Amino acid sequence: MSIAVTVLAVVMVLPANAQTRKERKILWNSQYNYEIEPVGVGQDGTKVFKVWGYGKDVGAAVMNAKEAAVAACIFKGLPGGGGSAPTPPICSQPNAEQIHADYFEKFFEVGGKYLQYIAVTNDADPSGEDRIKMKKGFKVAIYVQVMYDALRKQLEADGIARRLDSGF
Amino acid sequence: MMVNMKRLLLTFSLLAFAILAFGQAKKPIIMVVPSDQYCISRGYKMEFNNQGLKQVLPDYKTALQTDPDLRLVVTKMGQIMADRGFPLKDLEQELKNLEQERAESSMLTSSSSGSEMAESPIDALKRVAKADIIMDLDFEVKRQGPQKYIVFNLKGLDAYTAKQVSGVAGAGSPSTSASPELLLEEAVLSHMDNFNAGLMRHFEDMFAKGREVKVQIKVWANWGENLESEFGSDGKELSSIIEDWFADNCVEGRFNLSDATENFMKFEQVRIPMMRTDDKGRQRAVDTRSFVSDLRKYLNGMGIPSKLYMRGLGEAWLILGEK
Repeated sequence: MSIAVTVLAVVMVLPANAQTRKERKILWNSQYNYEIEPVGVGQDGTKVFKVWGYGKDVGAAVMNAKEAAVAACIFKGLPGGGGSAPTPPICSQPNAEQIHADYFEKFFEVGGKYLQYIAVTNDADPSGEDRIKMKKGFKVAIYVQVMYDALRKQLEADGIARRLDSGF
Repeated sequence: MMVNMKRLLLTFSLLAFAILAFGQAKKPIIMVVPSDQYCISRGYKMEFNNQGLKQVLPDYKTALQTDPDLRLVVTKMGQIMADRGFPLKDLEQELKNLEQERAESSMLTSSSSGSEMAESPIDALKRVAKADIIMDLDFEVKRQGPQKYIVFNLKGLDAYTAKQVSGVAGAGSPSTSASPELLLEEAVLSHMDNFNAGLMRHFEDMFAKGREVKVQIKVWANWGENLESEFGSDGKELSSIIEDWFADNCVEGRFNLSDATENFMKFEQVRIPMMRTDDKGRQRAVDTRSFVSDLRKYLNGMGIPSKLYMRGLGEAWLILGEK
């Protein structure tokens, strides 16, 4: 009887654990999983915040963080904190990343246009608490300044985001 | 060479057709106005004795002439809005223009007969600073020990429906070293994206469901008929005829008759189309005046003359009985 209960418990617990690991992996690769910490109010037309990225080495993780910084401004918006109010996403249209998949694939390709809107405020490799060694690779945080207004204007000019005065 | 010329001509004619065929909707005028609370609490006010009742009104001119913080915030907001394609109407300049206009109107006479310009009391009353969307602004530099912080409150109000279409409010982070001017600039930079997102939602709603406006139907005292009088072959009450017209002509029949008597009807949340095709087949922007003008023509066809009185982009009155 006790063996049957143990087997049943293992059968019930195992998929749950496996799913958690799987979910975690999906989250790593998901474009929605942006970890952002606002640090203050940026100068005219810019946003400053701390963003985390993942990668096999520190360089790759930094690039991933830069990509996440721009993607957050476009799809998710920035949370409030550090004296700054929340910032809405540039693309307010639901599922914009799927509707304009071809555009964003090119925009976020390696060395793509997204880099044009990033001004990294700390150039050296992240260290200390901003550099976490994981089982496979690194998780790092960088402080970035995103040229938010320039990015918005580019997306508006390309017909991806709607202009405030469109239709008038 | 000929083929190229033909292509060029075709492109130009298509472009001209597009410009003629697809007009632009009426763009709302936006203006920053300091809130009554801001003006009155700082002493920028005018006090009147209205039949024994003390009335306090904000004095915008004094506020704008003497408050450097207010000017800084208004300028910063104006810069951001102009960048988003909505240059703001400047309240200070508008007040100066109105003063100048008032002076010129009273002095101007015709060169041949010396006649003055026609101006009714209502024309003079209409000479005030107006906007379709008011950015109602209020902020305060607060202190907590050695630290200073800004409390910022900005409301986007539709001047006609009195609805808040966008709004942001909040306190900035306290600082001991930053000057109040810097904190104010930070507050504007921090909140404006969110404010504009609210404005964008309002415009998207407007393009999807039509512009929301207010219409009032009134009756001249000497008409001899009222809104309960029966018209037409089936003897329908005039108020029902008007209500049916709104149901037929509003976007998706959306309107709300919020109050009515035999002498007036108050329609709110009336959704009018942004564009329509005119007699020449052109797309033209619709405002409340042109929308209610169609009702005027319809009632005229039933032998009911009326006067159309415009109160801006989003409100009009139709006064029945005579012009």
